[in-house]
Amino acid sequence: MRPVTEINIQLTVNGETERVAADTTQTLLHVLREDLGLTGTKDGCASGDCGACVVLLDGQAVNSCMVLAPQADGSQVTTIEGLAGNGDLHPLQRAFSETWAFQCGFCTPGMLVSCHALLESNTNPSREEILTAIAGNFCRCTGYQGVVKAVMQAAAELRAASSTPGTGHD
Amino acid sequence: MQTPEYAAPATLNDALLLKKERGADASVIAGGTDLILRMRDNVLSPALLIDLRAIPLANISLTDNAMHVGAYVTLAQLLANDDIAENFPALPAACREFAGPPIRNRGTLGGNIVNASPAADLVPPLLAYDASIVLASSGGDREMPLAEFFTGPGQTIMQPDEILTEIRLPLMPPRTAASFIKLGQRRSMAISIVNLTIRLTLDASSAVSEARIVLGAVAPTPIRAYAAERLLTGSEVSDELIEQVARNAEKEATPISDTRASEAYRKNMIAVLVRRALLATRAELQKNASSD
Repeated sequence: MRPVTEINIQLTVNGETERVAADTTQTLLHVLREDLGLTGTKDGCASGDCGACVVLLDGQAVNSCMVLAPQADGSQVTTIEGLAGNGDLHPLQRAFSETWAFQCGFCTPGMLVSCHALLESNTNPSREEILTAIAGNFCRCTGYQGVVKAVMQAAAELRAASSTPGTGHD
Repeated sequence: MQTPEYAAPATLNDALLLKKERGADASVIAGGTDLILRMRDNVLSPALLIDLRAIPLANISLTDNAMHVGAYVTLAQLLANDDIAENFPALPAACREFAGPPIRNRGTLGGNIVNASPAADLVPPLLAYDASIVLASSGGDREMPLAEFFTGPGQTIMQPDEILTEIRLPLMPPRTAASFIKLGQRRSMAISIVNLTIRLTLDASSAVSEARIVLGAVAPTPIRAYAAERLLTGSEVSDELIEQVARNAEKEATPISDTRASEAYRKNMIAVLVRRALLATRAELQKNASSD
């Protein structure tokens, strides 16, 4: 591959194939928000500190402000828009609203994606494991206790659903 | 920021040829968690980014009495690896306090080394375990002790045509234990005020045969407290000796005052943290001895 300053990248975003022409300084965050119109992912500190821009990149939570678009070429991306299926909120999203796990909501998309990544690998997380999973997500208005409560509630719901055939969220 | 060219060569050989051709104008990009910030702040303006993502440099393997860790191994990978946890526990201990999960999923061990921050969290454990590194160039590989790599903040002896490809950790002798401690403003997402790793190996009579006290964020590069190490070597780790070593450990440190902490505070904390790390390391050695 010859060095280039503009690159045509292909991404699978929330299950849809997307092709975008990006210059080499554009971030994955920029592509999601400006090219694909997926503004659920937030642009907070733009330095990898706050976690408002967290998405799943090939299944792993990453700061999309710290990934250059060409580095993501060929990858699977899940954003906050991909969590709800068929218009139904994901159990995590429902739990966040029921336990008052957010106030202004700016950190919530990144927070939800980090918690989703945790539940994908661990459906019975301890309080400590939840706090570790959100260690890269800053909330500046309401704190983290509601988030812990919400993740516990969603995890219990997911466990109950998977042990009751026919009612589970796949 | 200036728009650089970008290439993701398929082989290490192709990457090394590009690096030779473009030299210091080209920056290698791995996780990008430091480089992208520096580009955005115009601290670095590489004309070419050489992305290592297509090159298989992300393996961890155990051969020839050494652990071979690819430079592209992420901190999350390192944290999840059982061989590393069993043989080099201070490394996952440092990973656990490094930023947060999204950064650990991108940031690489090689990046933490070549970035050459005096506060790099993975470097004290690597130095305490006598790590060496492999620098590749189109002319061949050279292996050197990591201790000889750093020359100052952001400065190393790496040549413009070289790429760091591997970190090698010799397997430790029996009766070895190590402790990592990081002091930051908070437990996550904080740059270290002081970080350190202590590694002790005991001989058959329970005297210290090898001592490593490695201090980070208190000098232009991570440093070993050689004088304090010498106090330990050949002796049993008594309470009195721990006090003496803790009081002496700061002597080789030359910390600065910055936004995170003052010079005086850092010096005081070295004594406190060295004492704690020695107590923890001794407790670990005693635990291992009683379970043998």
